Amino acid sequence: MTERMRESLSALLDDEANELELERVLSHIAENDDLRQAWVRYNAVRAAVSGHQLAYMKLDISSQVQQVIAEQRTPSAAQTATSLRQRFLRPVASLAIAASVAATVVIGGQQLAQIGGAQSYGNSQAVAASASPVGLVNSLGATTVQASYGTQTVPVLRPATRTAYQQLARQRMQKYMQEHAEQAALNSPQGLIPFARVPRIRE
Amino acid sequence: MLQNLLGHRCLHVLLATMSVAMVGVASAAVCPGADATALSWLDKMSRSVRQVSYNGVVTLQRGDDMQVMQISHSVGEGTISERLTELTGQGAQVERADHPVACIHPGHKLLRVGADLQVGRCGIAQHYRFSVTDGERVAGRKAVRIRIEPRDMYRFGYVMELDRETALLLQAETVGRGSKTLEKFQFANLSYSGQILGGIEVNLVHEAQHPHPRAAATSAAPGDAWSVGWVPGGFASTDTPVGSSGRRTYTDGLAVFSVFLEQLGREIRPGEGVVRRGSTLSYTRGMHLAGRPVLITVIGEVPVNTARMVADSVDWTR
Repeated sequence: MTERMRESLSALLDDEANELELERVLSHIAENDDLRQAWVRYNAVRAAVSGHQLAYMKLDISSQVQQVIAEQRTPSAAQTATSLRQRFLRPVASLAIAASVAATVVIGGQQLAQIGGAQSYGNSQAVAASASPVGLVNSLGATTVQASYGTQTVPVLRPATRTAYQQLARQRMQKYMQEHAEQAALNSPQGLIPFARVPRIRE
Repeated sequence: MLQNLLGHRCLHVLLATMSVAMVGVASAAVCPGADATALSWLDKMSRSVRQVSYNGVVTLQRGDDMQVMQISHSVGEGTISERLTELTGQGAQVERADHPVACIHPGHKLLRVGADLQVGRCGIAQHYRFSVTDGERVAGRKAVRIRIEPRDMYRFGYVMELDRETALLLQAETVGRGSKTLEKFQFANLSYSGQILGGIEVNLVHEAQHPHPRAAATSAAPGDAWSVGWVPGGFASTDTPVGSSGRRTYTDGLAVFSVFLEQLGREIRPGEGVVRRGSTLSYTRGMHLAGRPVLITVIGEVPVNTARMVADSVDWTR
């Protein structure tokens, strides 16, 4: 994982990422194991430090958490680690952007299958097995997660679906905007201007 | 040969437009609220791009983002060549060469309601309310302002400034709910000559496509054909829909939206997501159509309501 990516990830976690950084992380996170693991780790650390409980903490991360925290606290840790620690010690920022990535990475797909348990979704293996041919984000394979309130176990709908769908809509805009512009350019008064709305024109 | 092909392809369009005679001074009695002056300006605007050559610098504002581009438009012997060159951002260039003057696409036909009004077909006047006032000076040209308000909730409003002399669209503002400006495009400078300026560094050249009405209609696997069951009044298909192709596009003359369908190879949790940039919306919905998981995306310059209802109406063709 490059330094730049680490910074982006960290900014994302603190909700300080700009659109560019978000895109950078999102475009790499699917095929970059290191990045994904780093994200899970950072979140775990943050949650542990801030005393927040996360539903997926049951994932076998918890044992690593202490270790990671310990590492973060050793004076010999690299500078980046120090700055990260400072970030982690801050109050937890709003989860707006962070949640969308968390949803994609942590709640979704394979991790979920690992938390697994026999949930109500029968074919979890198939669902989580691989990235979809149409480039869906993994989190769409996610399903309701058990969260406990007191003694009762209440199934809650995680924000995963919502944020994942928003991300999907963003991806689809990138993907289809040009095809739409081809039509709009011939059928609206502004001539070729619709092409200026295309995020990235392809040849 | 390409020329012939294009000419042939647009023949039906030509025949259809020949029946539309000169701009009429319409009877507002037949179409209540139809402002004949405004409509005749709209009509002129849609013709102006076939009559005058020009080039200039255009800005496109969407929220905090502003793009600057150069536009060249030259009308030659029966054909039009246009070019858009981005001066900011990606630095891409989009070209359309030798588009037949006689080839008029549905979006432009919908703006030519002059003669139709007189025979009681109100067309676009059924869906928008128009009014004309004096405009400001845009790019050094005196303009006339057309205010266009939607009559329903399915489309946006517009404020357009047209060149008083040529009826060229100099400025257009897209107005959303609560009179919020979603997007504004305008000429910063303009010169009526066909000369295309050089010396701009271009990173990429894209040749704008021309729809192929007969493309790949046969490749449809049985049962894969789909259709859009509902579009707001006044919207028409921009090209011949092809059974199983992934896209359908509709226009009412001012707004355009496209519907995309993807069949998924696996289950999907139903849901929807929306992203908006300027006046452009991307609405994505995951759902099951007759038990098959699909992802439907509506992209275009329409309110989210419209997109949702359109996505709702998609179904397999039986």
